[in-house]
Amino acid sequence: MAEVNMEQLLNCALCPNMCRNECPVLQILGREAVAPSGKARISAMIKEGHLAWDEAMLEATSNCLGCRGCTIHCPFPELNLCDELLFTRLTAKADGVGLPACEPYLNNLKRYSSPYGQKTSVVVKPDQGTEVLIFNGCTSLANNPASIEAVRSLLNKAGVSYQMIDEDCCGYPAEVWGDKELARQLAAENNRKFKESGAKKLITNCPECWSTFTRRYPDWDQQVPLEIIDGPTFFLQLIRDGHLQPTQSGLPDQKIDPGNKTVSYHDPCIWARTAEKTEQPREILQSIPGITVQEPFTFGACTRCCGGGSMFQLSFPRTASAIARSRLEEFPAGAALVTACPFCREGLFQDGRPVLELVELLDRACQ
Amino acid sequence: MVDLMRTVLQKVQVEQTLIDQYAREAAKIVGEDNVSVNRADLLATCRDYWPVNNVWMVEGAVPALPQLVVWPQNTSEVSRLLALANAKKIPVTPFGEGSGALGGVVPLKGGITMDLKRINKIRFIDHENLMVTVDCGMNGALYEEELNRAGYTGGHFPQSLRCSTVGGWLSCRAAGQFSTRYGKIEDMVVSLEAVLPDGTVFSGRSVPRTATGPRVDHLMLGSEGTLGIITSAALRIWPLPGKRHLASYTFERLEDGLEAIRLFMRAGTRPAVVRLYDAQETGNHFPELGDKRCALILIIEGSAKIVDAETSVIEDCVTGQGGLDEGAEHVEHWLEKRFNIGVASMLFQKGAVLDTIEVTTNWHNAHSTYLAMQQALLAVEGTMLASGHYSHVYPEGAALYVTMVGFPGDHKLAYYKNLWQAAMEAAITEGAAISHHHGVGLHRGLWMAEEHGSGMDVLRKIKAAFDPHGIMNPGKLGLEEVQEWQK
Repeated sequence: MAEVNMEQLLNCALCPNMCRNECPVLQILGREAVAPSGKARISAMIKEGHLAWDEAMLEATSNCLGCRGCTIHCPFPELNLCDELLFTRLTAKADGVGLPACEPYLNNLKRYSSPYGQKTSVVVKPDQGTEVLIFNGCTSLANNPASIEAVRSLLNKAGVSYQMIDEDCCGYPAEVWGDKELARQLAAENNRKFKESGAKKLITNCPECWSTFTRRYPDWDQQVPLEIIDGPTFFLQLIRDGHLQPTQSGLPDQKIDPGNKTVSYHDPCIWARTAEKTEQPREILQSIPGITVQEPFTFGACTRCCGGGSMFQLSFPRTASAIARSRLEEFPAGAALVTACPFCREGLFQDGRPVLELVELLDRACQ
Repeated sequence: MVDLMRTVLQKVQVEQTLIDQYAREAAKIVGEDNVSVNRADLLATCRDYWPVNNVWMVEGAVPALPQLVVWPQNTSEVSRLLALANAKKIPVTPFGEGSGALGGVVPLKGGITMDLKRINKIRFIDHENLMVTVDCGMNGALYEEELNRAGYTGGHFPQSLRCSTVGGWLSCRAAGQFSTRYGKIEDMVVSLEAVLPDGTVFSGRSVPRTATGPRVDHLMLGSEGTLGIITSAALRIWPLPGKRHLASYTFERLEDGLEAIRLFMRAGTRPAVVRLYDAQETGNHFPELGDKRCALILIIEGSAKIVDAETSVIEDCVTGQGGLDEGAEHVEHWLEKRFNIGVASMLFQKGAVLDTIEVTTNWHNAHSTYLAMQQALLAVEGTMLASGHYSHVYPEGAALYVTMVGFPGDHKLAYYKNLWQAAMEAAITEGAAISHHHGVGLHRGLWMAEEHGSGMDVLRKIKAAFDPHGIMNPGKLGLEEVQEWQK
């Protein structure tokens, strides 16, 4: 089980933080307690027994998007502050401290296995020998069923046999909100269904789910029994193998600038910095005829979070929305936005311009 | 769990009923969300990057705690909040991003800490007159980034660029790594807007120069929050340079490098970056150059024709003093690593005390001050390393930046005090100014009387005129006689 690495936590707590400009929460809230070192100091002093948890300290240390923007300029290569804060926060529950704002969502998870409440299931039964299992993730299921339809349409066009199961939440939100046992239970139930499915490959378009399967499940003693493949890599391979052939731009007409065929790709933090998948989405975009790709001010491994990481849209909706507005200012005017994460799509869908998930654009581009 | 946190320096606090009253009235000005008395916020704003704070932190202690944190979002709110505090005689400590290295934000008498990070926008860029008006709480890196997007540079690149605010730069008379071309922050100021403790808002004219008596707004420069709060500034900006030339040289002796710099400054060149390292730091920062010679790195930038002409003059001066051309690669390495200060945290965890002290010399004492400070620091028991480089240069002299590392065992604070005492005495004896750009804060106040002589009384009179109740950042700039920390 992952433990707090005090040496790394102290490295941050003792540092003036050359990452402060890359912490979206700090820059939006302007509140010192949510600065990387502010959170690290609270965590270190709690771990050392100098401080006791209270709600304000838990709230401050929870103000982390998990975006790892703070690693861009960090001088400590082994430091992952987002993880250290996550692990530290798990001790708050034992001290009887929780965040009231997150309680309804935790209750949803316990009752419906989804933070959003009653689940919308999309189940596709497998054919004989179906190897591919698509894991949609509760955010796509709750907020953007169009992206799920796009995935199904693409797989049908590519002639790929697949299945979708009555999936439960991957469990990450439960851990973010301090209930590791619930996270483990959700993981165990998903793993049971994965085993039952007979599939060999688990594909997900949700970076949070991908990160949870690859990084958190082993820590919860719940190793996923399938090969885990991220969505951008999987769909790019279908293009490279000739199973998908984009033939048109696929861009919806824009109300403001109907002739504009410029697309700007927002790198989701996890794909960009944890999975290091920055080239795959761009290769997919380059395969689509009739569009021009223009980068936002920060992109690739230096991308800035949309405010949707670590369940912020539920835990801290006002902050999440303000961070998204700030991120939107970095995109070229008039460009349609494309991303590859259901949280990012949700967050960036604010200023009236089209925001598509990559699979939606790709599906529209493929006849 | 027991809450063990203790305050080390705090001797007094404001009566709680006054704080409660203030909190209620402040909430009417800025909204309830922008006033906090919770422990997380008090803890976060009680300290800066003064190394002593880190010693206390790992022991579960803090220097002192504010009793309330407030976040204004504009000048008008700052004015109303200050007037309210002034009426109740509650101390106010301004707070930016906490990168100061001398305890300048420690709320010695409790009271209110005013976190200014929500006043954080570029108000407008004046393209014709090459100025920007920017709020005090804007992060330095984001300020530069926004200017870059508009085709300009602010020319100010302190090592703390990513962890400091524009207001912090102005309040501490900061210097950036490119200061020889673009100037220290005070050279970039066209005008300031500030708020006095009684709520008076005033600003200077944003014109190149005036002859209408002393510039009152400029009096706020370097005042470190003791006179009032700087809320915005009109600063010079420059079009992004058309050409950048990187060069590095090594010299057999530090004095030869200094003489080369003196000559090219005398000749009128203004390279953006001029950094001359002693042999020890040359070995540390540029291992491929060895540790026997002294490295000089240069960045010359601006319009291409001017850069070419300056490069030619500089090359003549440098080679004339025996400088060997070492190419551009070392400068690229420096550009890449120049904001990395992780070594301080890592060494601290291994029991070391690391600090830096910057002083200002003229050419005639630039080298002797280096020798004297190095010798004094090495004489302090526990010191393992004392090295230096010249980081900013002027026609009249240079800033000397000394780095020291020691392993004092269990006596970190005593060692730290001894280090500073030794370094400051040596600098004063040599005739150097005791600070070039880190400012005074709490710690350096001890030597302010020696630095200013009778000018210190004038400074105290100005303080009394601006802040008659003494509410602004008490205990800083050496304005108060007794400083508990040094005893």
